[in-house]
Amino acid sequence: MSVLEIGQVRIHAGSATQEEALQEATDILVAAGAVTPAYVDAMRQREETVSTFMGNGLAIPHGTNETKEAILASGLSVVRYDGGVDWAGEQATFVIGIAGRGDEHLEILSQIAILFSDEDDVAKLNAAQTPDEVFALLSAVNEA
Amino acid sequence: MTTTSTTATASGGGARVRVQRFGTFLSGMIMPNIAAFIAWGIITALFIPQGWVGFDGPVEAWQWAGSPILGGGDFDGTTYTGLVGPIINYLLPLLIAFTGGRMVHGHRGGVVGAVAAFGVIIGAEGTVMFLGAMIAGPLTALILKYVEKPWQGKIKPGFEMLVDNFSAGFVAFFASLAAFFWLAPVMKWLTDLLGGAVGWLVETGLIPLASIIVEPAKVLFLNNAINHGVFTPLGTEQSAQTGKSLLFLIEANPGPGLGLLMAITVFGVGAARATAPGAAIIQFLGGIHEVYFPYVLAKPVLILGLIAGGATGVLTNVIFQSGLVAPAAPGSIFAVLFQTAPGSHVGVILSVILAAAVTFVVCMPFLLASRRRDLAAEAAGGDKLAAAIAQTEANKGKKSEHLSNLAARTGAAADGAAPATTAVATAPIQNIVFACDAGMGSSAMGASVLRNKLKKAGIEDVTVTNAAIANLDGTADLVITQQQLTDRAKGMSPNSVHVSVDNFMNAPQYEEVVEMVKSQKEQTE
Repeated sequence: MSVLEIGQVRIHAGSATQEEALQEATDILVAAGAVTPAYVDAMRQREETVSTFMGNGLAIPHGTNETKEAILASGLSVVRYDGGVDWAGEQATFVIGIAGRGDEHLEILSQIAILFSDEDDVAKLNAAQTPDEVFALLSAVNEA
Repeated sequence: MTTTSTTATASGGGARVRVQRFGTFLSGMIMPNIAAFIAWGIITALFIPQGWVGFDGPVEAWQWAGSPILGGGDFDGTTYTGLVGPIINYLLPLLIAFTGGRMVHGHRGGVVGAVAAFGVIIGAEGTVMFLGAMIAGPLTALILKYVEKPWQGKIKPGFEMLVDNFSAGFVAFFASLAAFFWLAPVMKWLTDLLGGAVGWLVETGLIPLASIIVEPAKVLFLNNAINHGVFTPLGTEQSAQTGKSLLFLIEANPGPGLGLLMAITVFGVGAARATAPGAAIIQFLGGIHEVYFPYVLAKPVLILGLIAGGATGVLTNVIFQSGLVAPAAPGSIFAVLFQTAPGSHVGVILSVILAAAVTFVVCMPFLLASRRRDLAAEAAGGDKLAAAIAQTEANKGKKSEHLSNLAARTGAAADGAAPATTAVATAPIQNIVFACDAGMGSSAMGASVLRNKLKKAGIEDVTVTNAAIANLDGTADLVITQQQLTDRAKGMSPNSVHVSVDNFMNAPQYEEVVEMVKSQKEQTE
């Protein structure tokens, strides 16, 4: 199984609270067999210490160093909230949940990072109409 | 950056910031060496005569006649030095002195600091010289720093090594003599003074107050001097008459140390928190109290918790009229129970439990308060190059907090801080580490972005990696963290240049780092 499958990418027209976004990210990761449901607490704990808002509308919720046992396998969840999510005072559009075990997720994560650091690419991601398009954009860089 | 945290620091005034910075310095000197303390603690708990496999150990079946080979002493007609004495007397103080010197003036500062520390170690022979090493190490490095200032950067190429080594060699020579003749007597005098004061408290019956002296003295590694110099003779006398003495428990009660380490385990931060549980096992079960001293040296205010806990323990034994038959050595819970006088078990066990509980409770607010303060200070320090800000603040005092806030705000828009960046990087940057709490997400993303930017700028010989803060090993030239985490990162990697960023995706600081690496490359080519 790869770290990011099409089923782990969603687009929502409305907005959500940070709590809802964390729960949705966890649900996706649980469904993918990457984490246990307890991971949402780990994410919450992490947000309490330091926000995972990265800039350019991207937040990457994940657990802390001490909660790694909740991770079963590496996986990502990608949700775009077109209405935005209030992320500790910042406006997040993309919420990418991360469960990292070992290094296998780092490659795609690094591609995502590079993608999101380029504002043209961010605009493309925001303009994508379907989860498939988002997935394609994320995967395309992965192959390049 | 929040306004609340800014005001919190500003209202605290410059003194608090200075105390805090001093605390960070102490901690930077001690924490990298904790492993050595733990290793020594294990060796000691096993091989000293009263150790678990010592020839005079608490369990008869485990007694090993040859224990002096490792623990030190006579065996089979030969006198062995063992590992215990040399490590505590020489290795541990030297490690601390080296680390302290290195923090002030790089590796050479560490070297001169270690040499100077040897002066005070030998000069005050018979006393474990941690305090002396903590003074001599950084101070000598500071002297070297000022001594060579006049000719720094003016040496003809090819002669730097020669000049550097000789100037450091002479500074180390003079400093070791000064430490031997001047610092050592002061340290010895301090030890005698503490011993005398404790003796007086015992005589006057104000014995629970003895903790006010005993606990700080313990942490300065004067525990054996006090325990064996004062309490053991007095206690043995008492025990011979009445069958028990509470004096044996004043220093050896493992409760306060346990309470302290538990408090750090729950409320502490960074490396201290991560290592405290292991230290607690060695301390409480193994009876080697020394393993908790570094944590207090790194955060001296915690001594209040130990004093409160220690005094509680003593008072409990006064109330229950309980005590030990003979000294509990090592001060492990097993040794304590083994030596407890018949009928004293309730009082002794309570004295350990209450001492631990009181220490835990008293330490808690200090740990929580300073935790918040560290974060607040960091937030007020702005999101520019943390090292540069720290320097400016040190020069300008309290006012600069506002300045740096301003600078941070304008700098985020314009590229105002680039000159400062270049000025800070004195050592070539080859190894950049992005650090975050788990080393799983944010730091990996940041590292990718910067790696990409460096690649685009045509720079290939600089490595960019990511790590959990707890795994920083101090070898990074440049450490990049989110601003709330920079303080913790500094603690783990004190000699690196630290950069704080707000926005991992396109922080203005990235351009500065790229510029810095570029210009450094041009200089060397």
